[in-house]
Amino acid sequence: MDPHEKKICQPSGGCPSSERAGCGRRDFLKAAGKAALLGGAAMVTGCSAGPASGEAMKLRWKEYFKKHYRLMTQEEKEETVARLERLAKLKKGLDVQIGSEASIEGVLFGYAFNVSRCEGYMECVAACVRENNLDRKSNTQYIRIFELEHGQMSPEVGDGKFFHEVPVPDHFYMGVQCFHCDNPPCVKACPTGATWKEPDGIVVVDYDWCIGCRYCIAACPYYGRRFNWGEPVVPKAEITKKQHYLGNRLRHRGQMEKCTFCIQRSRNGRLPACAQACPTGARVFGNLLDPDSEIRFVLQNKKVYRFKEDLGTDPKFWYFID
Amino acid sequence: MYRIFSRACLKDIPTTNGAVMKKTFTIVDLLVLLAAVLVLGYSSMAFSGEPGVTEKYKNAKVPFDAAAVDVIQDLPKNTVTVRQRYRGGLFRTETRKDKIARFKCSQCHNDKPVTVHQAAEIAHGRVVLDHGSTEKPLDCYTCHDREDRDQLVTEGGQRVDMDHSYQLCGQCHFRQKKDWVGGAHGKRIGYWAGARVVKTCASCHDPHSPHFKKRWPVTYSSPNAK
Repeated sequence: MDPHEKKICQPSGGCPSSERAGCGRRDFLKAAGKAALLGGAAMVTGCSAGPASGEAMKLRWKEYFKKHYRLMTQEEKEETVARLERLAKLKKGLDVQIGSEASIEGVLFGYAFNVSRCEGYMECVAACVRENNLDRKSNTQYIRIFELEHGQMSPEVGDGKFFHEVPVPDHFYMGVQCFHCDNPPCVKACPTGATWKEPDGIVVVDYDWCIGCRYCIAACPYYGRRFNWGEPVVPKAEITKKQHYLGNRLRHRGQMEKCTFCIQRSRNGRLPACAQACPTGARVFGNLLDPDSEIRFVLQNKKVYRFKEDLGTDPKFWYFID
Repeated sequence: MYRIFSRACLKDIPTTNGAVMKKTFTIVDLLVLLAAVLVLGYSSMAFSGEPGVTEKYKNAKVPFDAAAVDVIQDLPKNTVTVRQRYRGGLFRTETRKDKIARFKCSQCHNDKPVTVHQAAEIAHGRVVLDHGSTEKPLDCYTCHDREDRDQLVTEGGQRVDMDHSYQLCGQCHFRQKKDWVGGAHGKRIGYWAGARVVKTCASCHDPHSPHFKKRWPVTYSSPNAK
């Protein structure tokens, strides 16, 4: 017997969820779905699509009925990650590694941006686009760099679309992205709980739980969120394969996305792509709860301010001047 | 003070009726109390639940143990321990000597004669010196040692190894050096956790013309950006 067929016949053998009392709506749907899938799989095999597409269908079916990320046990997280990795292999021939690392205890991420150092080279934007598999078709970018004249304070009066040789004398550059507010208005606006603040302070989106209502875009006073109006296009050769479930894994049409401080990097101790790419050292990233960290040095010793602090969003992103 | 503005009080004071006075005061008192509850309640609601991020980090005084992070980098190669401590202890910076194409300098700068042909090929023709003010520009020997060409020299005549050139830069740029040691100037390499490894001054600034050059941005802003 074909091993895939065997799996379909005993879909949840050894899976702890099957041992629970199966009387909920979800379990009923699962059972009904399995029956339907058997028929579907038989039909597909009849159309000579091969066992791979049958497997993909089964995986997609399971994906469709998975839980919200925050309600999953670590085991379930690993299962869904394994399914997504396998699906990427089956559908696109990609060998991605999707992580599900939890936040580290004693870590609260913070970011500081030196407005007197940034020269507007946009290296951070390019690095972010590559690292986070952003849509190349609509040219989605998480980071915006504003060119401001000396004396101006808010990007609302600055030029966010400059394209000329930089730096221009008597101007400074201010980068704006998701500020990972400690009191995030986007989270309050979300009707499905698809976006939330992780214990390490990163505001994340469960892409599979997002219904695409875009309330969060309206709620965010910083324009920190991006919506996939179409199916995102990323050239296969440029896809970053080291991914995270809540981070740079490939999104789909109708899903909201945003900066995650490169969760796939930062939770492994690495700097976000923007901070690593910055050629002028204007970007400082670190653990706010560590008194020895660079970010704490900046907060203690430099003149810092936050953007639209009066709104009470409590951003974890400071601007500072030399 | 609020009693003066209370109409009830003004009306009741001439009567000198103790009972009426007491009653009106209780009502006014209640109103004020209600107002206070509303105002204070609202403001405390705004900060309810968890404390703000400023409070969170100001109360955090225990250094972070980097062993909590799963992936910690191997100690990067080609780094040296900086001869100064930051508040987290010792830290490392990139080496310099291995990045200078024809180090050691004494390979050429010695007593042996060099042919004109050789000199033209290997001399420092590419070096553009644009460092210091136009009135008092720096020259080669402001930083390079006349006698020992493999070393740098401070204003005080102390020889400095090329790998520790930050000591030399810090003579004038002491403010930047203080920020660099602390973490507000320069940048860490690769990791926010674990051993602190930072770029050295000359990793980003050409010591001969240290200003960043004017150039085109590597990408353009999204046309749909707001």
